[in-house]
Amino acid sequence: MLTEPLRVGRATVRNRIVFTAHLTGYAEDGLPTARHAAYYGERARTAGLVITEEHAVHPDDQPYEHMIRGHDPAVVPGLRTVADAVHAHGSLVLAQLNHNGPQASGMYSRAPVRGPSPLPDPMFREVPVELTESDLDVIVAGYAQVTRHVVAAGLDGVELQCSQASLVRCFLSPATNHRSDEHGGPLRNRARLLLRIVGAVRAELGDRVLAVRLGQEEGLPVGELAAVGALLETAGVDLLNTTIGVATSSLHLVEPSMHTPSGYATHVPSAVRAAVSVPVVAVGRFTTREQGEQVLREGHADLVGFARGLVAGPAFERACVGCNQECVGRVGMNRALGCAVNPRAGRESTLGRHGSRSVTPGPPRRRVTVVGGGPAGLRAAATAAARGHRVTLHERGRLGGQLALAALAPGRAELGFVVRDLVAECGANGVRITDDEPELDAEVVVLATGARPARRWAGALDVCDVLDGTAAPTGRVLVVDELGFHQATSVAELLAQRGCEVEVVTPAMVVGQDLGLTLDREGFRRRAHDLGVRLTTDTLVTGVGEGVTLVHHPTGRTRVREVDAVVEAVPPQPADELWETLRGRPGVHRIGDCLAPRRMDAAIRDGERVAVAL
Amino acid sequence: MLGEAVRVGTRQAPSRVLFGPHVTNLGRGRAFSDRHRAYYAERAAGGCGVIVCETASVHPSDRGYERAPLPGWGAIAGSCGGALLLASLGHSGSQGTSAFTGQAIWGASRVPDVVSREVPQVMEQPEISALVSGFAAAAARATADGLDGVEINAGQHSLLRQFLSGLTNQRTDAYGEDRTLLLREVLTAVRAAVGADAVVGLRLCTDELAPWAGITRDLSLSWFPSPTRESSASDERAGRQPFAHLVDYLVPVRGSGLSVSATRPDAHTPPGFNLSMARAFLGRGVPVVLQGSVVDPSMAEVAVREGFALVEMTRAQIAEPRLVAHVRAGAPERIRPCTLANQHRARDPRNPLITDETEPRSGHETVDPPLPRSPRPRRGSPLLVVGGGPAGMEAARTAALLGRPVRLVERADRLGGALWLAAALPGRARFGLLVEWWERELARLGVEVCLGREMRREELVGDVVLATGSAPSPPTFASDPDVRVLPAAEFLAGAATGAGAGGRGGGESAQRSGSGGTVLAGGPGLPAGAAVVVHDPLGDWTGVGVAELVAAGGLRCALVTPDAVAGTQLARTGDLADANARLERAGVERVLFSRLESVGRGAALVRDVHHGATRELPATVVIDCAHRLPDTALGGHPRIGDCVAPRTVHEAVREGRRVVGC
Repeated sequence: MLTEPLRVGRATVRNRIVFTAHLTGYAEDGLPTARHAAYYGERARTAGLVITEEHAVHPDDQPYEHMIRGHDPAVVPGLRTVADAVHAHGSLVLAQLNHNGPQASGMYSRAPVRGPSPLPDPMFREVPVELTESDLDVIVAGYAQVTRHVVAAGLDGVELQCSQASLVRCFLSPATNHRSDEHGGPLRNRARLLLRIVGAVRAELGDRVLAVRLGQEEGLPVGELAAVGALLETAGVDLLNTTIGVATSSLHLVEPSMHTPSGYATHVPSAVRAAVSVPVVAVGRFTTREQGEQVLREGHADLVGFARGLVAGPAFERACVGCNQECVGRVGMNRALGCAVNPRAGRESTLGRHGSRSVTPGPPRRRVTVVGGGPAGLRAAATAAARGHRVTLHERGRLGGQLALAALAPGRAELGFVVRDLVAECGANGVRITDDEPELDAEVVVLATGARPARRWAGALDVCDVLDGTAAPTGRVLVVDELGFHQATSVAELLAQRGCEVEVVTPAMVVGQDLGLTLDREGFRRRAHDLGVRLTTDTLVTGVGEGVTLVHHPTGRTRVREVDAVVEAVPPQPADELWETLRGRPGVHRIGDCLAPRRMDAAIRDGERVAVAL
Repeated sequence: MLGEAVRVGTRQAPSRVLFGPHVTNLGRGRAFSDRHRAYYAERAAGGCGVIVCETASVHPSDRGYERAPLPGWGAIAGSCGGALLLASLGHSGSQGTSAFTGQAIWGASRVPDVVSREVPQVMEQPEISALVSGFAAAAARATADGLDGVEINAGQHSLLRQFLSGLTNQRTDAYGEDRTLLLREVLTAVRAAVGADAVVGLRLCTDELAPWAGITRDLSLSWFPSPTRESSASDERAGRQPFAHLVDYLVPVRGSGLSVSATRPDAHTPPGFNLSMARAFLGRGVPVVLQGSVVDPSMAEVAVREGFALVEMTRAQIAEPRLVAHVRAGAPERIRPCTLANQHRARDPRNPLITDETEPRSGHETVDPPLPRSPRPRRGSPLLVVGGGPAGMEAARTAALLGRPVRLVERADRLGGALWLAAALPGRARFGLLVEWWERELARLGVEVCLGREMRREELVGDVVLATGSAPSPPTFASDPDVRVLPAAEFLAGAATGAGAGGRGGGESAQRSGSGGTVLAGGPGLPAGAAVVVHDPLGDWTGVGVAELVAAGGLRCALVTPDAVAGTQLARTGDLADANARLERAGVERVLFSRLESVGRGAALVRDVHHGATRELPATVVIDCAHRLPDTALGGHPRIGDCVAPRTVHEAVREGRRVVGC
């Protein structure tokens, strides 16, 4: 079913796969770039319909640095390259149009934010100016103007964002719309702005595709969304896209991490589809064709949206595992979108015509020895082999290195897919994987020997000991978090599930500081609360002996805690003995944790880089 | 003396005031830009003697932030007239990030930075050699591009400091045995690259505030032995005189990766805090520059008399580009005071442009028109400004500069509006200085000020600008009358009076109380024994400051925030960690990840924002630090500042200018 064409308005989409809108940070000076074109083009090989990231309809709306200035006619040439790149694969492309309203900041625009009512957004916390009727006229005209630019650039239509972060959703939701005029109160009033915009945009679009994206949130139950959907169908909208959550208060629902199962939002399109006859798009952390097929088979939707799924595997050749490290995590920090498991994501424009399909065949075939089968070594081997080199990968222990261990933690099993996909890619590319002694006389030797536990305190365990089963602490367990990511929190959950009384202690201001970036914090705090895990911040462990000495550094208060076990999550030590003997020899490279212990994305990126340079 | 020329190396600086290197985000990508050019030129035209540009990365392994400049100064060369223009050269090392290069960051040893927790790659000889060459090549480029020389960054944010410090250098090779070796190699290579004629300055961390392993004042003093003993070539070889003969000036700064906010702290730290440390370097064979929140020209004058060659006044010149010109003209009272609030620092992942709380044109010199330097002849049409807060005062000031007769009417019995509330917070007393400055300016420009006068709608005739400020928002939580709910402004109005900050001269006394830590006792208007809950859904300076005032009054206090930390927005000012530590030490309970649901019967009910568990806190008083709403009682005329949308002084000033056409 996923491969069947579908009529959308007057157009035909060649399959049911949609690459849905998401921020990329690829704009320069507010204009779309060649990077956008190559990125969307690569996904258009698979997706019959591509929806670009949002285009601003008013210059005052700039919630983040790299927002595209859709209202500026200068966007047309860049948009045209995007259209050409997508059309080259027979796919359709819509530009998303949006005004973020009060879900924004005046920092870049130097203007106050505006909204239906003077209620500050939970994240940006700026008090919006209440929009007047004449302000709304300007905004509606802005939507029409951007539509003209989109049409001039040859795109196939537009999608109006009425979800996640938008002025139109703020009008639609009674939680953010407290007006008593003709825009407040009953749904018909709250939807007035949306319907005006639909009318103005349709007038510019002709028979091109007009889509609207609706989202379920606290103030907007699915029943109400279905009613809006019906109004929109009557108003001539061709396609209804869906989502769940609000970008500035419940982003963990919009783009959840691997703790949330695929298909978690299917009830939204299902309810909308029951009320309309135009096609409806489902989203919800779909990462495989099979999941897409199932949604269609069960009748929840007519098309299936994939964003991260196609970022990680533009042809579904590798799974997105919902780690959120380099996509959500980077965009949230005002950085360009990347992907932890696909180091080429966002770099397609610099990789030549074939993008991620094949890497330009390299110079003469060389004999390459890769020592170590963690993510760095596997990536290096797979890419080097794809470039035509003869590659042997040596691993004496388990393939996947620390990643395979991390996958044993509660809710983190999908990390195992990263290993599975890398091993499969090595196999397909002809890498010889062996547990023999490495041939260190090869022309090229890539050391990817990883890292081992630091063992800072005698008597303490490392998180790896708990995950690989060498140790099974019981009773009162203190987990020391100096890494600020999943290591400590995963092991704390695991031990608490086994009945331990667990406390996580960190010198930082927050336990698992970086879980906020990957949108794992809400879930972790909920699970930790349910399991009774205690979270202690601002505290250093200065000694592990009879008891554990804890120093609260803001006050200098010292306590001694009696526990049955201490588990450290501290930076590991590189296993770089081979480097000590091979240092300086031509053709010898170090990648991954044996160079500097970092996270999965860094290991994979190192592996890709060293192999591409061979 | 401050305005007099001074010799720096072989060159002459027109004044003794230095504009130090800082992140601006004014670049186009990583290139110095026309915006940089205008920004530096503005300070040079205002009389600054030495301008040190934003630090450029000397090696591709370093990109500490997205727009960290690359070597190449053509765009700004020749922009600064007689002022010396120097390139700052650096490498952030383990304080950098792999986010933009995609590669491991470099470090002296495998010590992760406390904030980023990124473990660096340990530099081996090839990397060290490349670094030294990088410094030399960048220095050569700077002088070839027409700059007067370079400043080498071995300050708080630098790889060179990381090599000097026992906190971060745990090497066992030559660079560990002699931790000054790398800096010596760099300075030697740089001097060789630029020759004897160009200026080579050194910004050096001389106290890391971490005596257990870090650079201490005694250690750094030992690098500059007193020249009373004959120094000789053998001393230099033995490393006893490692740096002084290679540089033309020294800027001692403090702080490390553990205390990044200590270098340019906000006003919780008193101005001139480095004086005693820097003084120790006088008379040690190298001209010394005083750095450290110096914002007052009289403090700078005293320093110069004492023997400092130059005084760094960076933030003071972001706030007032014409600082030296006003000193030279004998009118230091016209200098717009720097708040030292750090609210517009550019070191932030969102890449904001550098600007200033009260001078919004800073950083926007290429787009915002300049104000007339002296008042135009008074021939314009009369203007009535309603409201004497920052927006109204700046509108009146600007209109008067443009030659319009202006009447400013304020309903309170003094000017300043919400500035007094800001000034009542611990560490923010300098906002009171702004009121005094505006009062002087309005008097100088002949603005007619009417105090204690509430305007009625029918009195608004002719050209009118409304700057009537804001009012509290209704509480978002349910409350029973037995618990008193007090908007923050009402509490702070009491605090301001209690501190004696009201009226003329109040700013100075408030400044003393802010810097000396003697905050008022007995939470104003709060009964003894009150249990106070501070409701802070915004996470800015207000909630934290209010809680500090309450605790200082000896009352039980809890601060309720939806965030992971108290005062989350203070990350930008650099006060976040300090603020949370102050609250802890003051005994304020931080109730994190929580929303206030209701108050009544002596208790406040809070709910966790993630898992929904509830908790009761003792509460007889709630101070509500939530957002404010525009005061829209008057209408029909252009509005500016908080009566459009309650924001900060920055927006108020900008709108005050724009509304009268500037």
